[in-house]
Amino acid sequence: MKGRKVKKINISNELSKTLIVILIALLAGYILIFLTGLDWKGGGFFQSVRTSFQQTGEAYEIFLSSPLFKLNRAIPEFNFKGFVQWINQSVPIILTGLAVSLVFSAGIFNLGAEGQMFAGAVGGTFTAILFPAIPVIHAFMVILTGIICGMAVAAIPASIKYKLRGSEIVSSLMMNYIALYIGLLLIRTFLRDEISGALMSRKFRETARLFLLNERYKWHIGIFIAIGVTMLIWFIMNKTTWGYKLRVTGANKTFANYSGIPSTRMVFQTQLLSGSIAGMAGIIVLAGYHGRFLWVNSPGYGWDGVIVALVAGQKPLLVLPAALFISYIRVGATTMGRYTEVSPEIIAILQAIIILLITAKAFLANRPLMETVRSAMPARREDG
Amino acid sequence: MADMVDFLSTSLRVTTPILLSALGALIASSAGATNIALEGIMLFSAFVGAVVSGLTHSLILSLLSAVSSGLIMTGILAFFSLKLKANIIMAAIALNIFSSGGTIFFLNVITGEKGSSASIESLVFPTLEIPLINKIPGIGEILSGHNILTYFALFSVIAVSFMLKRTPLGTKIRAVGENKEAAESVGISVRKVKTVALLLSGFYASLGGVYLSMGYVSWFSRNMTSGRGWIALAAQALGGKSAYGVAISSGVFGMSESASYSLKLLNIPGELTQAFPFIITVLMLIIVSFKKERRFIGNS
Repeated sequence: MKGRKVKKINISNELSKTLIVILIALLAGYILIFLTGLDWKGGGFFQSVRTSFQQTGEAYEIFLSSPLFKLNRAIPEFNFKGFVQWINQSVPIILTGLAVSLVFSAGIFNLGAEGQMFAGAVGGTFTAILFPAIPVIHAFMVILTGIICGMAVAAIPASIKYKLRGSEIVSSLMMNYIALYIGLLLIRTFLRDEISGALMSRKFRETARLFLLNERYKWHIGIFIAIGVTMLIWFIMNKTTWGYKLRVTGANKTFANYSGIPSTRMVFQTQLLSGSIAGMAGIIVLAGYHGRFLWVNSPGYGWDGVIVALVAGQKPLLVLPAALFISYIRVGATTMGRYTEVSPEIIAILQAIIILLITAKAFLANRPLMETVRSAMPARREDG
Repeated sequence: MADMVDFLSTSLRVTTPILLSALGALIASSAGATNIALEGIMLFSAFVGAVVSGLTHSLILSLLSAVSSGLIMTGILAFFSLKLKANIIMAAIALNIFSSGGTIFFLNVITGEKGSSASIESLVFPTLEIPLINKIPGIGEILSGHNILTYFALFSVIAVSFMLKRTPLGTKIRAVGENKEAAESVGISVRKVKTVALLLSGFYASLGGVYLSMGYVSWFSRNMTSGRGWIALAAQALGGKSAYGVAISSGVFGMSESASYSLKLLNIPGELTQAFPFIITVLMLIIVSFKKERRFIGNS
């Protein structure tokens, strides 16, 4: 009973730390826009400060509100288009967030989510264009190919780790680039749309597309798939023996081995599961939204997944809000970039701050430091 | 013959940034710290170098500011991973994400453009004609007339090898990398040594970056490193713990990049040559760990 209470306090501590970190990042972004908006040449200093202050305020208003609200003659109203973009954008990030959370909770650093996602998208594209057009089954097969391809890419660093005890960090990073270049080569050689000038695949068959909830803004059902997968992972992690073994392995490998848990096999299986989830992320975006393969570079969902896993503290149910948050600031920043001078790439800086501060164990969580502070205070009073 | 000379000369040119960063990766990994932020450090230093030189027209100032930006980034990496107990892989990912977007954000602030800094052309590091050697036909054209950073990279192979093997600092770095506890027990400050090793790796990575925007070409363009930081990491993984090994693997990757320019005529797809360094590294990792595994079983 007592142990449980302590744990609860820890979780709320983690949560408040995360919220503080997010606030710090948003504040840093605000200051950055303000400073870079200062016009040093024209006008007086105070005039310049006032203008920049106003512009920053406008930019941040769009940044933080546009996925939900838009101004219609100065009256805010619900922005349905922004909302759909926000939800659509969050789908791949939820999935990669789950994938990365899984490997992290097993205590390994497989950073190959990006490549697994890309390989899944490439494989799914082949099925989407070449598989016979049978309604429902076709779309199902497309996602299944994505899963298999993602798993296959994850299997390589996973086997190096499992069979040969090699480090998974470097090999999984290398796989990202192998998947990227080989994937592009396959698309270009076999599925290229010759009519289009840019490098993209032919259009997917209609039966390969995901069901749309809204035709105009292409709101696809990917979000329900993502929520479903989240529930499934939560169930596996918290309600099955396999999930329990996995958490024990992640917490303490030696202990796991002594209690008869085959930790290396657990680690291997987790990487495969993680790869299959990451493999879904990309193809869902293509089959749901774009309707063809059009990436000439890696879209970065895998790295977003790393941020999500960190913000969510590897807890499947927290992955949902974390991914929604990351997607929210992404969509908001894109809109901000369209209406103001501020370039949307600023969110990369915010994301970097969030990652750095959340992973810093000693940041805001340093109990010895807090104790020193506390013990230093009365001492000072005695001095005075 | 002329083709061959051209090929080798180009190889040396494209090997330079990979080699410089790979030496950085070597120093960091010798101290037991995996620095996967090389890509981000290269990119940011390339950006800082190009912009400062475009604005100040001073080679020294741009070199200094580019190198200091690299040192600051690795300083952040060291501070967060060693002092604040952040995971070094995570902190490095943060730096990479920062560079990929941050360079575009600041480029837009400074030049008003988002693609490249071509509007403010930057200076280029001078090339060096080596006397006597440049008179030899063939060899002269291959070895002479390169950017000064290329020669610095070649010199650094010897310097880093010497530093790691023969100097007190190198011994400490290797001791920390081999066995942290043992090093600590003889009074070596693990944190200090790792910080120095990381800073050195940042120094080399920033030179690799600066070479791209102020040697290779005279401007910065978005994502101009295009994976060279990762190739450097691969070169280190392949070359092992020896500076000469790292130099050889960097050279092989440089040659494969150089070949990709001439192989276009032979109809070998560019994507395949781009993927080559990564494929070869994964294969080598498999082979090397396979050998280790055999030995492991043999011993037990």
